[in-house]
Amino acid sequence: MAKTILAVDDSASIRQMVTFTLKGAGYEVIEAVDGQDAFDKASHHQINLILTDINMPRMDGLKLLELLRKLAQYKNIPILILTTESSDEIKAKGRAAGATGWLVKPFDPKRLLEVIGKVIG
Amino acid sequence: MTELQSVSDKLDNKSEGKSVLEDKDKVICNNAADEYFMGIKEDLNQAERLVSDAVNNLVINFRYISKLTESHHEMVLAIERMAAPEGNSCINELLEKQMVIANQIEQELEMAITSLQFGDLVAQLLAHTTRQVEMLNVELQRIDRQGGWQGKTESEALDSIHSGISKAVDVVKNKSKKKPVVQQGMQMGDVEVF
Repeated sequence: MAKTILAVDDSASIRQMVTFTLKGAGYEVIEAVDGQDAFDKASHHQINLILTDINMPRMDGLKLLELLRKLAQYKNIPILILTTESSDEIKAKGRAAGATGWLVKPFDPKRLLEVIGKVIG
Repeated sequence: MTELQSVSDKLDNKSEGKSVLEDKDKVICNNAADEYFMGIKEDLNQAERLVSDAVNNLVINFRYISKLTESHHEMVLAIERMAAPEGNSCINELLEKQMVIANQIEQELEMAITSLQFGDLVAQLLAHTTRQVEMLNVELQRIDRQGGWQGKTESEALDSIHSGISKAVDVVKNKSKKKPVVQQGMQMGDVEVF
């Protein structure tokens, strides 16, 4: 059975590029437009990995990360950050909040799939 | 006469003892300045709309080319299967070439995925710049409302104006969020697994 990935980004073009890459590799993809949308969808679906942006309206990626890590079913699910942000300061915040990894945009599809394959098991 | 000219004339006349700036005078951020700020924001919004439109079209083109490539690939494989029993070396050679071309198109499409993310980076930068322009406009208006030019000499008034502008810029710098995009090109970003 295909693993399900929740792709969270307020940019429609990024969501489409992520979905295109992941579906091409055989993953099921659920899209969310911001942290709040992602949190709602994560509560209603069985997700195997979350790939989220940081800067988003309503709820940002770090807040989403914090909230999900408080839920038993998302304590050990890989959560990767895909963002334009690359400072050590924000990476440290993400790591402290429970991020599994950090990818700086723009992403390379092959590299993204490698990292996902590595952390999703 | 524009407000800027009016203020300038008042400053000129003050040295002749004819008129002075009053606290109610909008020295830094008058209507002309407000219109200028509005123009900048409209230009930034227009740039955002153009980029967004271009990205949407490019993504549609990308998906269509990708689907066509997939169909082409399948067709080559089907022809290969049909031609195999005949053992026609010319057809097989042509099919091999077709397969190489199909693989090259797929590789190019993968590279386009990285480049097509420019819309998100540009949109974030434009939003950041728009916020900074808005904040500067608001800060200059606030300093204008505070006034403090009344009864000052020309040079004192100018000093006061310069100091007001510097203060506004400092406030904006302090209030501004860190620039969200530092990338200077569309090369793949760093990857780190914790």
